[in-house]
Amino acid sequence: MKFRDLFIYRGTSTSRSDAVLAVWAFVGFIGLWYAISQVEIVPQRFLPLPWRVVEALYVMLAEQNFIEDIWISVARVWSAFLMSAAMAIPIGIWMSSYRIVGALTEPIVDFIRYLPVPALVPLLIIWFGIGETSKIAVLWMGTFFQLVLLIADDAKRVQREFVETGFTLGATPRQITWHIVFRSMLPSVIDNLRITLGWCWTYIIIAEIVAANAGIGHAIWSARRFVKTPEVMAGILTVGVIGLLTDQAIRFAHRRYFRYL
Amino acid sequence: MAQDMPFLRVDGVSKTFEGDTHHGDIHVIDNVSMDVEAGEFVVYLGPSGCGKTTLMRIVGGLETATGGDIYIAGDKVTGPDRRKGMVFQAYTSFPWLTVIENIRFGTRYRDDIGEVEKQEITRHYLDLVGLADFANYYVNRISGGMRQRVAIARTLAAAPDILLMDEPFGALDAQTREFLQDQLLEINREERKTTVFVTHDVDEAVYLADRIFMFSARPATIIEEIRVGEHITGERTMETKESEAFFHLRNHVRDLMRDQARRTDEIAERELMMPAADAE
Repeated sequence: MKFRDLFIYRGTSTSRSDAVLAVWAFVGFIGLWYAISQVEIVPQRFLPLPWRVVEALYVMLAEQNFIEDIWISVARVWSAFLMSAAMAIPIGIWMSSYRIVGALTEPIVDFIRYLPVPALVPLLIIWFGIGETSKIAVLWMGTFFQLVLLIADDAKRVQREFVETGFTLGATPRQITWHIVFRSMLPSVIDNLRITLGWCWTYIIIAEIVAANAGIGHAIWSARRFVKTPEVMAGILTVGVIGLLTDQAIRFAHRRYFRYL
Repeated sequence: MAQDMPFLRVDGVSKTFEGDTHHGDIHVIDNVSMDVEAGEFVVYLGPSGCGKTTLMRIVGGLETATGGDIYIAGDKVTGPDRRKGMVFQAYTSFPWLTVIENIRFGTRYRDDIGEVEKQEITRHYLDLVGLADFANYYVNRISGGMRQRVAIARTLAAAPDILLMDEPFGALDAQTREFLQDQLLEINREERKTTVFVTHDVDEAVYLADRIFMFSARPATIIEEIRVGEHITGERTMETKESEAFFHLRNHVRDLMRDQARRTDEIAERELMMPAADAE
């Protein structure tokens, strides 16, 4: 593999060269950040040096119990996400299995899907208070209606011949659903879940900024009040790192489990 | 049911696909009847889009007739089930399973046999289609021809009364096609399974069939029934294709086919013109 090959229009690369370039991209990004901050193109009050952010993160973890904020946010995201997934998968498959279900639910789901989640936060707080329930409700509203349509689509994309094969082998509709349709669509379901989990992190921060006594969003918002830019950036960075690690973990599991792809 | 009923009876079957606001109703099958004996290998031959596949799907219970009935072993067909095995043109072997697991899937919904027998049957059909060396390969690692062999083995493992094949070799290259035709003949000699095979390939039809039903352009009617077995006797082998009997029969069928293909083109042309006339 020559370096020059990377510049060919629609050319190919190796996973090794991709990894090297990824590292360089991060190094370059942090270097640029450092340079801009060091020569104060932007005042350090607004763009602190990278190591100040790392230091702030250390202090938050060591002295301000930030680990608990992280844990609370992670727990909120995952409980809402799992609830969303547990409902969206069977309902989505059901929607694509029977036209009566699909035709009745699709218009409503489509409508709710277009409601901006931040606009729902005040309403959900009125309904559920500022406790955990309203956080879960925000995340659920933001993900369930998107996910259920993605799942229904995945189910619809399963080849008609697969379903018909099931019938001619003597399977019942229920057996076809779980032994053939679900199994066939599973790789794309996992992909859609992975993407949806990313949205959860957007919504949890919004929910925690609006009303919360704990969580990463709350920590970011508290730091803002005293213009503690390094702390704000440390909070944002934490979300980014958690998101990246989960995403990579799921991708890795995807490759391991779906070897046949 | 009457004692003298043949194994498969197609009794006055018609099919019309209901149109919508843009298209009128499409009449695809017009009052087709036929009797097929147990163990017979019949081919539905006709131009593309003539309705032969639809008729086979009606036999399999995957489509309902607008008129007429189908009886298999005396029972009226009301829907798809394990008694009517189907092999499709599209690859239907499951990508998440290996070759042997796919074949084993054919036995999954059988309650007439136990686990041990299921394993034996899986092994038997794996060997019969000659894929023992590839038992543990995922199906996307093997060729299209092999995938069709997996599909055939899986269907047979379900022990259907009748085997329905919808252009199963249609997507394969010529060499693989011929190889699979020979293998199918071999399987058929062993299994003696009543088979309906749909194709628009004349050579394939003449080579494989005991009997060919030649269909007209849409709406499909039987224009000629060709008893291939009466012209070409003995075991079918590669040499059969060199024989004079094969040559003559093939040419006769090819001429029939050409007429119908021309008519199909005319129908297609006419239908393309129609919306323009409506717009006036």
